[in-house]
Formats: sequence, C-alpha cells, structure tokens
Amino acid sequence: MSTPSFGGVLGAAMILLLVAVGVGSARHILPESVAVLLFLTAVLVSAAAFGFWVGIASAFGALIGVNFMYVEPHFTLHIARPEDIIKLAVFLLAAAITGLISGRLREQVDAAEGRAAALEVLSQVSAELAAAHSPSEVARVAVRHLNALAHGPALALGPMEGQLRVLASEPESYLPEASELEAADVAWRRGRAEFASAQGWSGSKLSFYPLGNHIPGQPPNQRSPVIGHARIAPDSRDRAWREQAIEVILRQTGQALQRLALTEEAEAERRRAASEEMRAALLASLSHDLRTPLATILGSVTTLRELGATLSPSAQSDLLAAIEEETERLGRYVEKLLQLTRLQSGMEVHLAWVDAGDVAQASVARARRAWPNARIETQLPALPMIRAEVGLLEQALFNLIENAVKYAPGVIRLQAEVQGNEMVLSVADRGRGLPGPIAEWLASDGMTRPPLGAGLGLPISKGIATALGGHIRAAQTPQGGAVLEIRLPVPPEHGPAGPQA
Amino acid sequence: MSARQTILIVDDEPQIQRFLGHALTAAGYDTMLAASGQEALSRIAAHEPDLLILDLGLPDMNGKEVIERLRLRSALPVIVLSAHDQEMEKIMALDLGADDFVAKPFGIGELLARLRVSLRSRRNPARTDQIRQAGLQIDLGAHQVSRDGELLRLTPKEFDLLVALASNAGRVMTHRKLLDQVWGPAHVDDVPYLRVFIGQLRQKLELDPARPALILTEPGVGYRWAEPEGAAQ
Repeated sequence: MSTPSFGGVLGAAMILLLVAVGVGSARHILPESVAVLLFLTAVLVSAAAFGFWVGIASAFGALIGVNFMYVEPHFTLHIARPEDIIKLAVFLLAAAITGLISGRLREQVDAAEGRAAALEVLSQVSAELAAAHSPSEVARVAVRHLNALAHGPALALGPMEGQLRVLASEPESYLPEASELEAADVAWRRGRAEFASAQGWSGSKLSFYPLGNHIPGQPPNQRSPVIGHARIAPDSRDRAWREQAIEVILRQTGQALQRLALTEEAEAERRRAASEEMRAALLASLSHDLRTPLATILGSVTTLRELGATLSPSAQSDLLAAIEEETERLGRYVEKLLQLTRLQSGMEVHLAWVDAGDVAQASVARARRAWPNARIETQLPALPMIRAEVGLLEQALFNLIENAVKYAPGVIRLQAEVQGNEMVLSVADRGRGLPGPIAEWLASDGMTRPPLGAGLGLPISKGIATALGGHIRAAQTPQGGAVLEIRLPVPPEHGPAGPQA
Repeated sequence: MSARQTILIVDDEPQIQRFLGHALTAAGYDTMLAASGQEALSRIAAHEPDLLILDLGLPDMNGKEVIERLRLRSALPVIVLSAHDQEMEKIMALDLGADDFVAKPFGIGELLARLRVSLRSRRNPARTDQIRQAGLQIDLGAHQVSRDGELLRLTPKEFDLLVALASNAGRVMTHRKLLDQVWGPAHVDDVPYLRVFIGQLRQKLELDPARPALILTEPGVGYRWAEPEGAAQ
C-alpha cells in the first residue's frame, strides 16, 4: 500500500471542506440522511483518487463533520444523546469501509496501469533490440529507454583498447562526471553492479551494471559494455514497476549483445567454411589441369633419354615441340594459380572505374597471341564504366575464351551489353554446349566443389566474378553452342546514359 | 623374332597420344590411337591389337566400363593410366581384369617395363615348376622353398601366397585378387589378414624385411613380386 502523498491529503481535505460548506449552508433544507450520504460520497471520491490511507483519514474527517452539524448539541463536537454515539459509530464504519474498498480499488487500478505501461515499454524495447544490428545500436536503444524510465541520464560505456569509452548516452549531450566514470570502471572491472550513492551524498548519481553473463568466481567478461541509469526517486508512486522494467531491459540488452556476438561468430564460421570449400574446389581443378602437361613433359623427356637412339629425327623434334608447348601451358596455369592465390587470400579486390570494353579487347588480344589460329570476333559498343579490377576481369574473360578455344571449333564471339543494371560480358562458341553438371555448378551460389572436368579456368572466372560483386551464368546459342556470361553490377550513378545525362 | 606387336593407345589428350606414339614406335611396337571408350572397343573388334593402354579419365565412359565390356569377349592385356584422384577407379579396373597400372605422370621406362611383363605373361602363361630369384629357389611341385640350399619353413597358406605372387612376377596383384586366390571368395575383404601373412613371408624370404626387395607394396592397391633381374632383356 502506497504512502499518502501531501497532494493527496490536501485534495481530500478540500473535497471534505467543500461538502461541509455545501451541507452547512443548505442545512435547513437538506434532510440528515442526504447529508450523511454526501459525506460518504466525499470519502469515496478521496479514497478512489488518492488511495487507501487518504480514504481512511477522510472517513474520520467526515465523522467530525457529521458530528458537528447533525449531532446535538449542534456545532459542537459534543455528543449529548447516547443513541447518537451509535449513529456516529455506524457512520464511521460505513465511511471506513467505503474508504477501504475504494482505496484498494484505486491502488489495483494504479498497479494494473503500471504493469500495462511496463509491458508496453518492454515489448517496444524487445522489438527495437531485436532489430538492432550492432552493439552500439543496442546501447542506444537501452539508454533511450532507461532515460525515460528512470527520469534521468543514462549511459552505455564499452571497452576500447583497454579503456571504457562512452558508446551512447541519453540525453546525447550528457557529459558523465568523474565520479560516474569511476563507478562505471569499478562495475566493469569487478563484473558486478555499482549502485548510485544515496541522495545528498557525494559519489556517482548513476547506478552501473556490467552486461553479459558473469559467472561468479571467473574474471568478468571485460568485452561487454557497462550500462548506467539514474536512481529512481524513492517517493515515486510507480517505482516498483519501473525498477522491474529496468532490470528486464538490462537483461535483454545483455542477451541482445550476446546474440550479436553469436551471429558474428556464425558469419565468420560460414566465411571460413566457404573459403575452405573453394580451396578444395580449386585444388580438384588444379590436379586435373596440371596433370596432362606434366605427364607429357615427363613422358617426352624420358622417351628422348631412353629411346633417343632409335627415334627418327622428326619424332625427336616433335617430342621437343611437345615439351615446349606443354611447358608454355604449364606457365599459363601457374599464372592462373597466382591469380587464384590472390582470390583465395581474403579476396582483397582493388576496385576502380573501368571501361569493360577496353578490358575485353585486352583479353582478346592476349588470346590471339596464345592461339594465333583461333577465330575470335568481338562486338563491343560504347559501354558505361563499371567498378572492377582490370587484371582480374581480364583474366576471367581470357579463361572463358580459352575454354571456348579448347572445347569448341569455329568462331568465338565476345560481346558486351548492358541489361537492366547489369553489364553482361559474354563469350559464345559454336561447340556442343557445356556439360550439364558444369553449367549447373556455374549457376550455383558460392564456391562449392566444381564437377570433374571443369578445369581451372571456369572456377577462377567464377571466383573473380563473385569477388567483383557479380556472378557467372551459362546459356546456349540457338545453335546449341555454349554462352558463358560474366554479369557485373553497373553503378546507378554511371548508368547506361553516362554521367553527363 | 615374331612380327611387331600392336599397342592400342586410348587417351583423349592428343599430347599424351603424341609422345606415346613416338615412344612405342621407337621401342619396336606398332601403335593405334583411340580418343574415346567407344572408339577403343570398335578398334579392338576390327584390328585385334596385342595390348591396350587405357586412360581412366575418358570423356564418354569411364575406364572401368571399357574393361568390363572388353572382358566379356577378350583376354587382351590392359594397362591403365591413372591419376592420383582416380585411386578407387584404378583398383576397380584392376579387380575387373586390367593387368597393371601406371600412375601419371610416368617415365617411359616404367611403362615399357609393365608393357613387357603383360605381353610376356599372356604369350607364355604356362608357369614353370621352378622359380629361381635372388638366391631363392621355389619348387612349386614339391612345395619347397630354399635359400642357398637351406630349406625355409613356410605354412601352406604362406606357400600359396608366395606362389600367387611369384608366378606373376612384375605384375601388380590387388588385395582382392590375392585374397580370392589364396583364401577364397569369402575373404576378399580381409585386407588386414593379408597384411599379416605378407609380413610373415617377408620375415622368412627377404634379406632385409624392413626394406623388401622381393615383395613390393603398391600402397592401397596390392603387392608386386619384383621382376627378376635380366628379365628386361
């Protein structure tokens, strides 16, 4: 039961006085029973408005009023007739019961309202915490609500380079005092709550709580932040539910931070697994593509050494030519491997504004040097600039051309165009199309193990396309030839119309 | 010397065909080429080569399938070319009837040695009663083994295992083949068992059992009885 406030007592006295004056001035026309009911009503109103104790006090006030005006001798507090004592006692009982019941009712209403308010605040806090994507967002949500609940400044401090720094404060301009920083530091280092000093005492005005699960007997989790809020005034009527709400908010904030930490860990784990998968994928391609040149070189060299005497001169020179060609092929693989190592080691890509047409021309020129007999056509209109890394994009296109040269006879066509917000660089051949498993693998998300026969080139192209923020897609020409497309995003500010439009 | 023998090279990589063609011609064989399993089977039917060199990574069908279809009608010797990631397929090919394997990349000397062993064993399958090698004398008829005239004691199973290995000198014998031949088809998966017997045999036969010179291990595949010195001639 709440203690009566000064305002409540004053209000009840006013109501009683009003009734007394009213009844007093109309005493001659008001029957006694009506006057008694009016006094009871005053008790009821006071109790309902100001609570139980005020109701009881006003019941005694009403007793005095009735005694003064209606009990002989009138206008004194004396009671002349014995039956009047019974009358007054019954009145007091009725007034007290009225005060009691309506006072209790008032308090229940208050409590229900408090609970409803607390629930509303808490549900809002949970929703906001669930939507928060970073520890500082979580801290901002927490201090805003703590400020509203405790009617005073709230602070969140987090460790940075071994020291506590303010992550968020409400009001935002609030500058913590030295004593508050000290209290926060103590709470953080010891891993337990540090309460505000009582009113009138020097020391921190805020209570500080370390967040995160502190296990007793173990060093506190010093990566978690510390949150501080103002003391709730001890005479405030809804203090109980405010304190409970604050406790829940602190707990939920701790959980939200834990959730973020776990999410971050899971994301890091996913990235590690993906890069592991890619490593396995590329190793598989590697062994496939390196094997043939190595086998040819070793076989040719040992043939020349062991059977040289019986080999015809033309066979000898053909074997030497094979060694030369295969060594060059190995050289190209090694070049790809170096690109691959870069893609593997964290995909550090240096994006710059790039004219995709120029890059495409460069890759075609390189392909013509490598395979002078290949027939490569290009169709490259004026293109918008894109964000890419020249070396990587050139390698990705070169790999697609190489794939076409190796597996498809006839003309190879490289073309570029913009479709929607994507730049499409495609290499089409006149072969029999990609084997189904390889096309499916190219379309799949992420770098999973490529199917046998995918070689080293296509996985690298896919890795590059992904690293540049795009993807690779396999299609078919109407004649059934393979079309391999590298699709990269076109930044909106440099759209098809160009920056000057 | 009889007419030149014909080797069919089945590999989809033109560069491999190219050097194998030159090497086998220089070594005194005639060669034929095929780039796919289907082509290989029809060439075998039409030309009846003396030996098949088969790459396991063919584009149209795997080497295992080629051997399976080939063995339905022919005992043609087959040497498979395998890569490191085709270990399982290699073993299955051997169990299905391939005679031997060479792992890529390989020196031509190794391939030619395998080739000679496979051609010889097909040409001359009748085995002799006496095997003499590295100071050992194995008398198959009398079930006796001696080194430098001194009799070695072998259990019957050890002797059977010795016969299975030594009568296929120079050829790989897979775990399965040895287990089937010595212990019977119910025991083809008891590889640990086989290892124990090989260990015992090495203790009794090898001069230095830690560095075997007669019973060579083909890791993961099986064992090979070393080719007698001078057999290459």
